[in-house]
Amino acid sequence: MPGTPLLMTFPVTATSHLLSEFRARGGYAALEKALTTMQPGDVTKEVTASGILGHGGAAFPVGRKWAVIKVADGQPHYLCANADEGEPGTFKDRWVLENNPHLLIESMLISSYALGVRNAFVYMRGEFDLPYRRLQAAIEEAYEAGYIGRKLYGTEHICDIVIIRGAGSYVCGEASGLLTSIEGKKGYPRNRPPRLTVKGLYQRPTVVNNVETLSNVAGIIRMGAEAFRKVGTAKSPGTQLVSISGHVVKPGVYEIEHGYPLSKFIYEDCGGMLGGRKLKGLIPGGISAKVLTGDDCKDLTYDHGSFDKAGSALGSGGMIAIAEGTCMVRLLQVMLRFWHHESCGQCTPCREGMGWMHRIIDRIVSGQGRMADIDQLIAISDANDGTTVCGMGDAAGYATVGFIAKFRDEFEYFIQHKRSKYGGVLEVGAAEVAHA
Amino acid sequence: MPEFFINGQPVHAEPGQTVLQAALAAGHYIPYFCWHPNLSVAGNCRMCIVDVEDGKGGTWSDIACNMPVDEGMKVLTETESVQKRRKETLQLILLNHPVDCGICDKAGECMLQDQHYDYHGERPVSFEPKVTATKFHSLSERIVIDNERCICCSRCTRFTAEVSKSNSLAIQFRADHSLVRASEDGAFERDAYSDNVIDICPVGALLSKDFLYRSRVWYLKPTPSVCPGCERGCAVNIWHRKPEWKLNALDPRRNASIDRVTPLENPAVNGPWICNKGRDLAKILERPRAEQALLKGKPAELAAAIAQARDLVAAAKRPVALVSSWGSNEELAAFKATLGGRFASFVKADWAPLPGEVVEDDVLIKPDKNPNRRAAQGLFGAAPIAFPEGTDLVLVWGEGFAFSGLPRGAKVIFLNSYLQPENGHADVFLPISVQTERSGHYTNFEGTVSAFRACFARKPTVVDAEALFAALATRERAAA
Repeated sequence: MPGTPLLMTFPVTATSHLLSEFRARGGYAALEKALTTMQPGDVTKEVTASGILGHGGAAFPVGRKWAVIKVADGQPHYLCANADEGEPGTFKDRWVLENNPHLLIESMLISSYALGVRNAFVYMRGEFDLPYRRLQAAIEEAYEAGYIGRKLYGTEHICDIVIIRGAGSYVCGEASGLLTSIEGKKGYPRNRPPRLTVKGLYQRPTVVNNVETLSNVAGIIRMGAEAFRKVGTAKSPGTQLVSISGHVVKPGVYEIEHGYPLSKFIYEDCGGMLGGRKLKGLIPGGISAKVLTGDDCKDLTYDHGSFDKAGSALGSGGMIAIAEGTCMVRLLQVMLRFWHHESCGQCTPCREGMGWMHRIIDRIVSGQGRMADIDQLIAISDANDGTTVCGMGDAAGYATVGFIAKFRDEFEYFIQHKRSKYGGVLEVGAAEVAHA
Repeated sequence: MPEFFINGQPVHAEPGQTVLQAALAAGHYIPYFCWHPNLSVAGNCRMCIVDVEDGKGGTWSDIACNMPVDEGMKVLTETESVQKRRKETLQLILLNHPVDCGICDKAGECMLQDQHYDYHGERPVSFEPKVTATKFHSLSERIVIDNERCICCSRCTRFTAEVSKSNSLAIQFRADHSLVRASEDGAFERDAYSDNVIDICPVGALLSKDFLYRSRVWYLKPTPSVCPGCERGCAVNIWHRKPEWKLNALDPRRNASIDRVTPLENPAVNGPWICNKGRDLAKILERPRAEQALLKGKPAELAAAIAQARDLVAAAKRPVALVSSWGSNEELAAFKATLGGRFASFVKADWAPLPGEVVEDDVLIKPDKNPNRRAAQGLFGAAPIAFPEGTDLVLVWGEGFAFSGLPRGAKVIFLNSYLQPENGHADVFLPISVQTERSGHYTNFEGTVSAFRACFARKPTVVDAEALFAALATRERAAA
């Protein structure tokens, strides 16, 4: 295990997701502690003091988001757990939903107490099946046990939790698009201002947090902010669930303590690269985070400061390791196809730009590329930078610019020779893996 | 009242105004497509992006239509980066736009044309084939959409959601496959305000089937007028062929016909909208016209018919007049001044709601389908039509009164504009002009007076009611 775990603290078994086992692990103790010994403001203070950053991709300080909500302003507030985990390469929230759903419920109940929330939602991506069944069963268990839907521990606090399932849209994972979708509309993201913590769901103050972020709240309350800060680094306290996929021997979900050396994680915890190849590139946190070359990764530690300095970001924790011999042009084509397909079509730069970039890369891959296309891709990315309603346009642009900046020679080779430098291969062959 | 700066010049803003609203009010133009003063902010075209100085020597940029005004903020609308953004945005908007202005009805009044001319003016840089989409997709009996021209600004969908409340348009699919479509329950067909989406469409995507390929707009000229469709009296523009572009070869009737009707913004009456009935004024005003005076159903010279009518008026002992509620304020006043003392006058409803017509709603449409009943009743009272004993002459002004209701034995003078069977049953029939052939005013149900102006010349065989009343009264006064 890479560093001290906060969430993966128990062995996963066939029954470890059930309420009885969760209680045996000390579950719902933090809820009792919060409601019996703390005021709502104290909970928010504790979360702020923990310094926890959002785990959904933008790394926004949770305390700052929560502090905007005025508990006693006399209007309803909403809390929404963002379980619309659609970023390619990311499947870490799924681990929480499948294996520790009660931790999310407990954390949401504590958070709802802190934020004065009567109705909380979990917006889950429609493709999740087991996570949905596990969380739904857990919510039913919690209702039966009296944690949800009843006044708790002699306080007036009461909260209901409802799962809402998405219908398969990437953009609905964007906080405001998610709320629009809950309202029953097409999941278009909204313009800010107003911020969602001022006017969110049904025009009321709303906090949207990632599942993993919320799941940490129970731990923060249980152990206290100070103990929480002891895990990780000063600027990035805590841990990050990382779902690593791609050309590593042992892909899967790992919990990394911030500050853990990246190469140690890849070469020891994940068993190294497939077929003993070199690491060519690493997408550190979902394809929207800028790609890093193998050389960039050498001395990196897994925390926000280190990755920001390298020109990328931890993002959503969806790590994709790319081995030497992979065609980056084809890889970018796959990514641009995804963004073209998932652009919601609301605002001009993304609606037209994603399709345009996808058609250009398709043309390059079909051997019809022109040298000017590379700069055209950069120009379209630039036109998307900061001009779109939500962050998707920017993210796609950054990723494209990142790919071209780091692997420009491959793009030029492809255009000049009308074929890939690496045979257009994205996979590491099974024979090679077996041989190694 | 917050004060801020646009390009260094101080601008006052009303509380709650956005930067775009305040800038437009102060005469600083910021280009936009999706924003509309009477609709909510969508902020999706990204054309109005401006820079704001952050006070630390740098700038940040955001869309002006959704930017609240902050005291003292310094907005820059013409910097190099803003102009670069505008060019990029126009490049992207035009990426899949067919640029078929040559065959587009919107050409000449298209926001995209104007802004491309003002802010871009360059060739496309794309080498990719354009995305194709449906053309001439019928959204309703009245409207077709060309999805290739559509720039997905969502003005039309917001209109049906916020103004007409039919919620009948929405955008289907994602990315550059997005299509504006009508809901399948036919709500758009029933939307009595649907044609407004044609006007607010910033490009030529939404097109009127009625006006499709009828004329290039620069051959047309708008004449301000008032819709007579109901007592709301919406201000409209009646578009017709410019005299200098008179058609000589094609159907010459097109020179004197209504090509289209659009709203004329009047916040006191109708805002920027009108209903579909107002668009179809041609169906009311261009019914087959009566252009021939008749004496007991037989064609006669206009002058002879007027003389005959004059004799009848002079000879009558107990004459009754049924006054038209479609007469202008001027005509009603002329009648009152000339013949009002001689006739017992009642106000007549010329027009009743047709089957299937929206009678009343909470947007614009009012139940009384006559434009000037309020003014007429102000002059002649609101008493129901009743013929006193011994009525020997009835002057019927305007259509809509069944002749079977006339008293037996009374002579009838009938003033009408349209070819109708009753014309031949009157003792004297006099053809009068319609609204598009004269100028005047209507008073709407709230008492607001609006002016309409003549669009076309009146035929010499047709008479203006105002002049006619004076002519009928001359002899009468002479006889008395």
